[in-house]
Amino acid sequence: MDNIKSNVTLNAQGLACPMPIVKTKKAMTQLEGGQVLEVQATDKGSKADLKAWAESTGHQYLGTVEEGDILKHYLRKSSDEEKAEKKHPNVIDNDELQLKMTSNEDMIILDVREEAEYAFDHIPNAISIPLGELEDRMNELKKEDEIYVVCRTGSRSDFAAQKLTANGFTKVINVLPGMSNWSGEMSSQIR
Amino acid sequence: MGKKVAIIASNGGLFDAYKVFNIATAAAATDQEVAIFFTFEGLNLIHKEANKQLPMPEGKEHFAEGFAKANVPAIPELLAMAQEMGVKLIGCQMTMDVMGLEKEAFVDGIEVGGAVTFLEFAKDADVTLTF
Repeated sequence: MDNIKSNVTLNAQGLACPMPIVKTKKAMTQLEGGQVLEVQATDKGSKADLKAWAESTGHQYLGTVEEGDILKHYLRKSSDEEKAEKKHPNVIDNDELQLKMTSNEDMIILDVREEAEYAFDHIPNAISIPLGELEDRMNELKKEDEIYVVCRTGSRSDFAAQKLTANGFTKVINVLPGMSNWSGEMSSQIR
Repeated sequence: MGKKVAIIASNGGLFDAYKVFNIATAAAATDQEVAIFFTFEGLNLIHKEANKQLPMPEGKEHFAEGFAKANVPAIPELLAMAQEMGVKLIGCQMTMDVMGLEKEAFVDGIEVGGAVTFLEFAKDADVTLTF
């Protein structure tokens, strides 16, 4: 597969524990909320370490890709998005969406998470347009289509839904809560 | 977050140093507040000269090669990192008196205190470790 997109890459190759964690911590402080950090490490323990580290510091561990001896870990810096008020009036919950997916073939599922989040797990056939790119890539979508917008917690998708509606899209539905609680089928671009 | 880790370092070998500083830096990197109390041979770990040449445990000398191969950081480097991340280092006053050592013999930035100084920090710690 192609390289997974990240905002910052940290080279921690050849370093032994606890250096990958220490370097990750330092690199993460330089990122903005919501940005993705790629950590390249050769320490085999780094996978479990980084996952645990992310959990206890509140960041999001997306996954790890192995390329030969190199482990590429992807982390997304925490942001305040969970607390944001959701304003788009048209919503659907995960379960209802799952039901709809079995009967309605014309629906579009738009995933507005970062590419790296999408790469590790997404709803099959979901279209990936990260929220930050939506403005420029809106023309890839049809205004009259029924579009179900999904992110991790329902906040970025709320923004996206508002933005689409303001631009003349008529059937935009925000999926709540989104991938954080998705129990349906999933696809991955990772081997 | 906001957790506290209190560590007592009372041994002065190379393995002891790694145990202490690996845990301390990892905890600090995970946003935990860390203090280490160095007492008796543990003072070697923060002694300006001694910490550059800490002894391998007897019979384990063959690990020297493994240490080089695994590219583990040197102890002074780990110590500097711990300090940079805000780990509080407390040298034991009583031991220093017994051994006739002054604060100047130790790396900059350490505090010197007695057991009570450490206990004050450790009384509400979430994790307490002794090495």
